[in-house]
Amino acid sequence: MSKAMFKMTTAFADVMPAEYVELVQSGPFGQGYGVADLGSFKELIEEHPLCAGCGLALAVRLIMASLPTPEDTVVVGSTGCSSLAFPQIALQNIHSLFGNQNAVASGLKRALKLRFPDKHKDVLVVAGDGATADIGLDMVMHSWSRGEKLATIMLDNEAYANTGGQESGMSPEGCVLYMAPTGKKFKKIALPEIARESGCAYVASVTPVQPRKLEKAVRRAILVAREVGPTYVQIFVPCPTNFKFKPQETLAKAKQREKDQTYPLREFITPEAQAYLAALEGGGKHD
Amino acid sequence: MYVTAKVDEPKCIGCKLCIFACPDPNVFTFVKDKKKVVVNPARCKGCGLCVSVCPKDALVIGNV
Ligand SMILES: Cc1ncc(C[n+]2csc(CCOP(=O)(O)OP(=O)(O)O)c2C)c(N)n1
Ligand code: SF4
Ligand SMILES: [Mg+2]
Repeated sequence: MSKAMFKMTTAFADVMPAEYVELVQSGPFGQGYGVADLGSFKELIEEHPLCAGCGLALAVRLIMASLPTPEDTVVVGSTGCSSLAFPQIALQNIHSLFGNQNAVASGLKRALKLRFPDKHKDVLVVAGDGATADIGLDMVMHSWSRGEKLATIMLDNEAYANTGGQESGMSPEGCVLYMAPTGKKFKKIALPEIARESGCAYVASVTPVQPRKLEKAVRRAILVAREVGPTYVQIFVPCPTNFKFKPQETLAKAKQREKDQTYPLREFITPEAQAYLAALEGGGKHD
Repeated sequence: MYVTAKVDEPKCIGCKLCIFACPDPNVFTFVKDKKKVVVNPARCKGCGLCVSVCPKDALVIGNV
């Protein structure tokens, strides 16, 4: 996408929505902003209907502030709470049928490569745990085994939040939800390990408790997916609404899980991705 | 919304931790020359995550 798209016809400036004007005047396109600059520029995401204190909403906001080149990024989403935020994002984005996101993104990435052979067009998949680890798992894993150059991000709230709280493959064992009243009988799926074994060149699990670490993981995933291969980032995003805690406790919940190692933070990097990142990150602003 | 975060300006040290904890966009603005944050009450949902991370107790949730 050309940055010129974000210019305004002066004659229409007074009739454009205020949010649009702000985006043109102080948006992040072409500016190289990151998470540290939040509060000083117009964010790519606008007001959204996600619940107060939603960890998923915070993660989406941080992801949007972490994109290396937003003007050349397309986001592919899927059904779930995040799909209520994506219509509020000032980026090209596709809402795919639930679970199909990595198949749609594979086709899109290939088409963009043909159309713009000399440019990096980042295709970022952002979807829930149900969409990624359950209903879309075949599409996700096959995109990894085929080596599609996509960055896949899971917003892991450990439940099907948008449909009222059913257990997902990512819910921890014993987890009780509105529609899983007897507690989950199986373990949480080890998707970071599966990703590593299935061909991902970069894998990380993070939480929004450490926003700069989240930013680093998202940026690394996007950069590695440009040149090396598929990447996967799993973000723990506690959901106050389905897990019945107060909205102000979202970050404390994530912190507790980091601390007691029930949500371990990890990073797996292949030697090839490591060498690529080392060359890119030497002295870079967002290290 | 009906409730909002409010900044006790003298207490704010401009560390921006609230800005990184807020799930909603452009609720907080960082005022560079003053090194303080300000809240847009029309955008705040009053969740209180900012209060939970502020090291100086400079934020409270109250009626709009
Ligand atoms: C093909 C299809 N199957 C089922 C649904 C119903 N559905 C909508 S959202 C959702 C759960 C989403 O869970 P997750 O991916 O974890 O996202 P969350 O809402 O938790 O963020 C389901 C099952 C659907 N929309 N489409
Ligand atoms: S149900 Fe949970 S994940 Fe969905 S918007 Fe509300 S807090 Fe966020
Ligand atoms: Mg979910």
